Amino acid sequence: MELKQNLKKIRMIPNPTPTMFVILIFGFSTLIFLMLLPALFELRRPKDAGPRKIMDGILAVQQFQLGRIISLVNVEEEKLGLDQVLVKKLADIIAFLPNLEA
Amino acid sequence: MTAEILEILFIILTALIMAYLIRHFTFTLTVLNHAYKRKKIAPTKNTVFQPTISILIPARNEERVIGRILQRMTELTYPRNKMQVIVIDDGSTDSTGKITEEYAEAYTCIKVIHRKQWEGGQGKASALNTGMKLAKGEIIFCFDADYYPQRDIIERLAKEFADPKVGAVQGRVTVLNEPLNLVTRLVALERTGGYRVDQQARDRLGLVTQFGGTVGGLRRDLLESLGGWDESILAEDTDLTFRVYLAGYKIRYVNDAECYEEAVESWRDYWKQRHRWAEGHMKCAFKHSFKFLKSSSLGLKEKIDGLLLLNVYFMPILVLFSWIIGVPLFFLRSSQWFRILWASIPFSLYSFVGNFAPFFEVGIGTYLDGRNRAQWLIPLLIFTFLYNILICTKAFVDLLVSKITGKNNNHWERTVHSGNGNSYIWN
Repeated sequence: MELKQNLKKIRMIPNPTPTMFVILIFGFSTLIFLMLLPALFELRRPKDAGPRKIMDGILAVQQFQLGRIISLVNVEEEKLGLDQVLVKKLADIIAFLPNLEA
Repeated sequence: MTAEILEILFIILTALIMAYLIRHFTFTLTVLNHAYKRKKIAPTKNTVFQPTISILIPARNEERVIGRILQRMTELTYPRNKMQVIVIDDGSTDSTGKITEEYAEAYTCIKVIHRKQWEGGQGKASALNTGMKLAKGEIIFCFDADYYPQRDIIERLAKEFADPKVGAVQGRVTVLNEPLNLVTRLVALERTGGYRVDQQARDRLGLVTQFGGTVGGLRRDLLESLGGWDESILAEDTDLTFRVYLAGYKIRYVNDAECYEEAVESWRDYWKQRHRWAEGHMKCAFKHSFKFLKSSSLGLKEKIDGLLLLNVYFMPILVLFSWIIGVPLFFLRSSQWFRILWASIPFSLYSFVGNFAPFFEVGIGTYLDGRNRAQWLIPLLIFTFLYNILICTKAFVDLLVSKITGKNNNHWERTVHSGNGNSYIWN
């Protein structure tokens, strides 16, 4: 009885036609290709700067932090005038100096 | 009737997959939230805690890489009078013993234990237990022979032991030979998600941080009270993680204590390594799950996370199982709510692609590392995910066979290190 009911349900699914299969396979392949396309680009011509550089010692960490301050200011450069940028950059570096002594 | 049983099974599997999905999503949001809150540069912690330490380096036929780590040990910034380096030459047949002896002669802080060939090759846990007998430091650190830490890594890790509740500490592992080929690139992505996001989130949320068996350390008195490393388990690090928590201690993860590793370079080596991890991890699940649930020293969130962590290597198998029973059920049972449950397929893909650090964790990890271009490779993690389904299934079958036949298949498949990472360090 249960099997008959299940068979009825299965029949409710439209009969697949060859065209449907072709569209399905083509669509699925295109999707997979598009998904993997960036990866193929990166594998062919790697632009990633890996491997990741580990922080090699206290000095390197602080140089990194200093670099971050300067780059952060650079981001804001377009919004601020040149003299303001310089004052801000110097203020950040001075504020950072006690940290170097620690 | 059969369909009903399958349906109940399917519901349970979907619930499990959802639990992992929520867990990983919470981890990702936690780390992302933490990163955004750090608008100002985080002040350097000035905690100075420098106990005496012993560093154990087990090595078996590692002539291509052992000199590199020993040279690095001599360059560490930790006070030399508080540091002892013990190399366990585990019955090597190449020139590992000779290289280590040269370093031991030149530097008094480096000691070498030579195990005879019949003693060696019994696994990392066995070698570490041998090294532990000679260790005098309050804290015992472990590094694999192919690793290469930053100079001040010990200071960064050791300071966590200022808290008496901390029993062990773990640093971050970064892949050195990443640009070599597709396998190393994908392993690097998995490591980024696993450490930068997964481990860090577990540490921040006060859950079960994992001791990885290398780039980390433990209190010597705790290790001795636990009876050292369990030589009968292939995943001796996971086993120790759970024993540390059961003993009432915590494990901290320090993201800015970084160390390079040489990742496996071929799919064959990837299989060997992951198979060892999976089988060992599954054994740990059988050993610790019940004890962890019963423990009175652990909170509810630690228990839940611990169970999810212990059973993570079963999940690829369960995901495969849910797909297999999901397809016939879709045609046999067509109730509306069941069709919603069938969404377990995208859920499981969403949750597990990229092995055990899902792709969104890897994506956020690379983003926080400032490596947006590496994200382009993330779709390829589908291949490691599918590969891991096979690996975990094989490991589970092997474990079952060993349980049934009573033969303890504890053979340690050593990862071969080619030394290809040297060029990235020296240049």
